[in-house]
Amino acid sequence: MTEEKKDKNPEIVGFACSFCSFKASEMAGSLRMKYPEGVKLIQVPCSSRVDPAFVIKAIFEGADGVFVAGCHPGDCHFIKGNYYTRRKIAALKEMFNAFSIKNKIRLFWVSASEARRFVEKVSNMYNEIKEAKT
Amino acid sequence: MKGKRVDKRLIEGALRKFLEDEQHLVLGFEKAENRVKHRLFKKNLQDYSLFNPYFSVNGAIYLRRLFSKGTKIILMLRPCEIRAYGELTKLSQIERESIIGVSVDCFGAVSLKNDVQDIPTEVDALKDYFDGTDSMRWPCTVCRERKGVVGDAGIRVDTKGSLLVFPYTERGEEFLSLFDDGYEANGAEMLIKTKDKVESFQSDMETFSKDISKCIMCMNCRDMCPVCYCIDCVFNGDDYLPKGDALLNKVFRSGSAMLPQGRELFHFIRMYHVSQTCVGCGACEEACPQGVPLTKYFKGISERLQGMFSYMAGRNFDESIPYLTFIEEELKDAED
Repeated sequence: MTEEKKDKNPEIVGFACSFCSFKASEMAGSLRMKYPEGVKLIQVPCSSRVDPAFVIKAIFEGADGVFVAGCHPGDCHFIKGNYYTRRKIAALKEMFNAFSIKNKIRLFWVSASEARRFVEKVSNMYNEIKEAKT
Repeated sequence: MKGKRVDKRLIEGALRKFLEDEQHLVLGFEKAENRVKHRLFKKNLQDYSLFNPYFSVNGAIYLRRLFSKGTKIILMLRPCEIRAYGELTKLSQIERESIIGVSVDCFGAVSLKNDVQDIPTEVDALKDYFDGTDSMRWPCTVCRERKGVVGDAGIRVDTKGSLLVFPYTERGEEFLSLFDDGYEANGAEMLIKTKDKVESFQSDMETFSKDISKCIMCMNCRDMCPVCYCIDCVFNGDDYLPKGDALLNKVFRSGSAMLPQGRELFHFIRMYHVSQTCVGCGACEEACPQGVPLTKYFKGISERLQGMFSYMAGRNFDESIPYLTFIEEELKDAED
């Protein structure tokens, strides 16, 4: 974060649950939907695999935003993983809020069939961060 | 709540009685060389001190290294130390079975970094000492939990300056049964009061970078933190603080690198990792050779994050740490 990026195209790191959100992104691909190039997806077995340390590291290493995407609450493949994610990421958001950098992190729930929702969410985030940068 | 009105002599007598058993130990404070230190008492209770007006480390850190079946330990420590012990039991770092935690009312403490000596350790003199001076360390001035109401039992000081023992759990009753004398006391007005709630912490990255800029990455704050317990810390490997080629690659990729590497990252991640268990004792700040105001951030963030779940580190030993549990219908506004 200390090293300022010169170009205006934000880079976003996304952690996507392999059972829902990553499937949604694949489906978006097969349906020829487009989402911004700056979004780098990382597949994780479950959204609760995302230690908030990953998110913090991504941001300090230069990402302009990070999102964590998982299954809707109640639909987790591991029964209750995303409930833990929600607590962890909500607390992390609160911490980012305390440091006035709240807009850098998002938490989405996207199920495997919601390709359109995934694209919308990601593009919205990308556009918002891009606007804030310029 | 039923308690007993006691005095210092009776407390020492009770501890002596406890120590008669071969397998029993007491972890408490000892007066030594113009200050007060932690000590594991076994044979005699010479120079035993109930109060400790000096802060060096949080006593719970010693418990992580004490493992023994059959040994029973009474902790006679400050509330912040007992709270840290409580958090570590929740994280399965300490076995609660063999420990009786007794929290003693705390009047505050001075930092060992300031050269302050000959502070009284008896109630009568101590209760006025901190009113007349501003040498109290900053974390203690903002501490809202100086009351001995945590753990298995508590030793409280009432407004007249006499001592009372209250049991909070079954093991606390066991502690109370060590006192033969002392008469029953139910309620009295206590000397140590709860402070008002403060505003939630707010900062920004510029202030944070400025405050942290003195950090030399010695990681003493991590090593002396009572609740930062992982043996395999992420910062011990090369993943978070790259060395050699990995570091150079990073510099070539990003243009430049701040040295020492990753101090903001280190404090940020550590702040999150201890956010639910931080007791705000300020041991990190005490351990820092550079005088970085760490408690301001760690206590501020942890209070804010614990407040989200109406949780408070070490308040209740039966409450679960928020990250280890959940409620199905909550935090609807967290998702975007």
